[in-house]
Amino acid sequence: MKRRISLLLVLIMILSMLSGCASGTAGGEAPAEVVKIGWIGSLTGDQAVWGTCEFNTVQMLVDEANDNGGWLGKQIELVGYDTKGDSLEAVNAVKRLVGQDKVVAIVGPNASGQAIAISQVLEESGVPDIATVATNPKVTIDENGNTKPYNFRVCFIDPYQGAVAAGYAFEELGFTKAAILYDVADEYSQGLTQFFEETFVELGGEIVAKEAFKFGDVDFRPQLSKIKETNPEIIFMPYFFKEVALSSTQARELGMDAVLMGGDGWTSEQLLEMAGSSVEGSYVVNHLDFEDPDVQEFKNAYTEKYGSAVELNGYLAYDAFKLLEEAVLKAGEADSKLIAKALESAEVQGITGYIRINKDTHNPEGKEAAILKIVDNKYKFQMKYSVDVE
Amino acid sequence: MSWYYIEGILILSGINLVAVLGLSLLTGFTGLFSFGHAGFMAIGAYAAAFATMKLGMNFYVALLFGGLMAGIIGYVLGKLTLNLKGDYFIIATLGFGEAMRLILDNIQYFGGARGWPGIANYTNLTNVVIINVIGIIILVNIINSKHGRNMKAIREEEMASNIIGIDVFKYKLKSLMISAVYAGISGGLLAHYIGFLQPKMFQLIKSTELTIIVIFGGLGSVTGSVVGAIVLTALPEVLRNVKEWRLVLYGATVVFIMITRPQGLMGGKEFRVIHIIKRIVSKLKAPLNKEVS
Amino acid sequence: MTTFLQQLINGISIGSVYALMAVGYSLVYSIMNFSNFAHGGVIMIGAYLGFFALAIWQLPFPIAFFIAAVGSGILAIVLERIAYNPLRKRNAPFLYFIISAMGASIFLENIVIATIGPNFKTYPQVFQKTPYEIGALAIGRLDVVMFIISAVSLLILLIIIEKTKVGMAIKATAYNFKASSLMGVNTDYIIFIVFGLGGALAGIAGILFGMKYTVYPQIGVITIKAFIAAVFGGLGSLSGAVIGAISLGIIETMTAGYISSQLRDLIAFALLIFILVVRPMGIMGKMNEDKA
Repeated sequence: MKRRISLLLVLIMILSMLSGCASGTAGGEAPAEVVKIGWIGSLTGDQAVWGTCEFNTVQMLVDEANDNGGWLGKQIELVGYDTKGDSLEAVNAVKRLVGQDKVVAIVGPNASGQAIAISQVLEESGVPDIATVATNPKVTIDENGNTKPYNFRVCFIDPYQGAVAAGYAFEELGFTKAAILYDVADEYSQGLTQFFEETFVELGGEIVAKEAFKFGDVDFRPQLSKIKETNPEIIFMPYFFKEVALSSTQARELGMDAVLMGGDGWTSEQLLEMAGSSVEGSYVVNHLDFEDPDVQEFKNAYTEKYGSAVELNGYLAYDAFKLLEEAVLKAGEADSKLIAKALESAEVQGITGYIRINKDTHNPEGKEAAILKIVDNKYKFQMKYSVDVE
Repeated sequence: MSWYYIEGILILSGINLVAVLGLSLLTGFTGLFSFGHAGFMAIGAYAAAFATMKLGMNFYVALLFGGLMAGIIGYVLGKLTLNLKGDYFIIATLGFGEAMRLILDNIQYFGGARGWPGIANYTNLTNVVIINVIGIIILVNIINSKHGRNMKAIREEEMASNIIGIDVFKYKLKSLMISAVYAGISGGLLAHYIGFLQPKMFQLIKSTELTIIVIFGGLGSVTGSVVGAIVLTALPEVLRNVKEWRLVLYGATVVFIMITRPQGLMGGKEFRVIHIIKRIVSKLKAPLNKEVS
Repeated sequence: MTTFLQQLINGISIGSVYALMAVGYSLVYSIMNFSNFAHGGVIMIGAYLGFFALAIWQLPFPIAFFIAAVGSGILAIVLERIAYNPLRKRNAPFLYFIISAMGASIFLENIVIATIGPNFKTYPQVFQKTPYEIGALAIGRLDVVMFIISAVSLLILLIIIEKTKVGMAIKATAYNFKASSLMGVNTDYIIFIVFGLGGALAGIAGILFGMKYTVYPQIGVITIKAFIAAVFGGLGSLSGAVIGAISLGIIETMTAGYISSQLRDLIAFALLIFILVVRPMGIMGKMNEDKA
């Protein structure tokens, strides 16, 4: 009996797979009226906070665009898949998007590893992808230095962000002794650490301590106690806000009063709520100024619709969508290859700045970083800051 | 349904299957439980990618090289830990898997946590299927040999096996090494399938997924492992439309299968055509008998 | 010297978090002889219960504490009924229990993501954050509170096990399941009690963890360390779990402080394997002879 039940289960699975197939082709037969776009990212797993916000943002913008008549007179249909934050899952999801759902372009994912892993599939299928916060240079450039034809992004890259942080700390703030605490198991954290260290040392500063933790850790006091011994003026913390909140609180508990600095992984309302006074006076490298009047409309609309604050990824997903919209309209046809072509020279006023895709790197050109300082438990815009990175 | 997409799932099922076959020998036939096979996959993946990309080795030789490296590490790990019992061994393998990942996170030569892009794509459905067929043939031969019988004896009654003169440690070590080689080859295939490696791909959850597949298919059944690998690789794909509820259903399914059919799908039996025909015949007869009575 | 003492304090504090998790896990192991990998999931639910009680329902801390402990205890019992009891009735090998536990833990983590959401939640401040300062040393107030609560909870557990009839039955069942059941111990009832107690400890660990750090669906990940600590100390031994947890905390801290924070876990794992090679049953583990 039990055996039959489980065999039945398997049968149901196979059937549902086949039915998925049937509905897939049915959807494929009547695409004339809709433009299908895809989204991938983490809806589960460690990065679900950011992925969920991205998906919500794109969904909201799709609804909005549809209310205004859609693109090229057609309605837009969004197909989003979860990747668990896993590169393999991302490959499967993209294969499904391009093979079965026949999307013309993809927005996401929210991590470099996944964005690099899907390059091959994009190339085989000729569907362009606009990554949101994939900051590894290798997302758009391959090993041999050639530009990947279908990978684009709207964010600045690790070397840039690391250099901005180091440059600002050394030149504007005048610090010469820096310590770094980073997540050894995280790609983003390792990237920023490397470029911060390089730039800071090049400028004449000294890295007095470089300590690591591993993703999943919640206690950083052993590393912080060690950093404390070296008396740094500034501690660079290139990781995400949950760990930032914990490590900053613990640093203050240990009686450390060095200035803290971080990258775009910091910027969330939740950090302010969780860390409170611990991050007061810290500096953050960000993509935009949250108080900018141009940003408010989107910020409020999002909060109204989903009842929570926008995470940083939402802003970049917004820009990715706007860039895609621009490219589709410019291509004049919902054809993936034409859209990819149009993306190469697309320009749009985004929420994180004016985005002009560089034909040779597929990165947004000349995007300036915004330096924020946490004052009175709020992100206060300090200045736009940019450096030259080759 | 698009062939392109299905092909991708099949390739991935096949890659998983290679690792599952090895694990099936270890768990299903020798009764040892490992939470560290993702570590062996990682060794195989990085070693094979190193061989093709840096040494310019032939892909198939590189796969063997990856398998061999994993086997060697398996030997060392086994020497140290196979005397441990039950959960102690499990935790030791868990520690090994996590340690492997941490080492790779720290090796900047291979890109560290940021990953290693640009690995050539040599893996395709044809060679995955061929490698699986070879893998199954070798595995079945091992199982039906003296070695396999001794392993099964250890699974059933370790102490009794010892008494009748089976070198328990030696056979456990053999089993662990062979399963590590399979996992290593699977890792090599994986590396050359997605063309990108990152230590993050070999988390603990990967090890548990492999073990879940073995048990789902049925301990001590090679066909069970084959069916399990395909069904459980495809299941999350089937569930893709339910988004964040996907893993909820996955977890519930695993529990449900365990409590309703803990011996797994195949329950230690193998799928043979003759059996099926016999069963169908007897099923056809059954209703007739009922009507008569 | 100051740094060394500070690191020692850090280590003990981290270790005492592991200890509470490890004891609940070891308790279940002593009866059921399998690693309850869903323990992390129960801890996570306990942390969420504590969060809801304190932040949403605005209850005072003792009541929130009670809710987290009892709620998690009930959850653990329900889990046992659904995921393990059918296996036990069938005398399934321990592998099946572990897989069932794995499935349950995947289920718990993801149902929280799907319903409550993936965001981290911050507890309202119950105890002041400013640390006690002794010279240049800093000891967190919360650390002290946690240490006391953990010690008291463990003490109560010990009293239950050592001084009550139920405790005696638990000990007997742990020693020999079949014989105790033949001697008239209601083993179903014992398992019910053990899961209840283990769950309650998980709930306490959860609410304390949440207060000290934060609440998020992947809290379960940290319990891997607790499993290691329990193995370190010797599975099934409660005092072993505590000793293992504190030693692991100190070893980790000292490794990060004096050897390499990049390779901390690697060294901790290597040491674990080394200890197991020397003492295959952990520090305090009983040598279980195979009952063939």
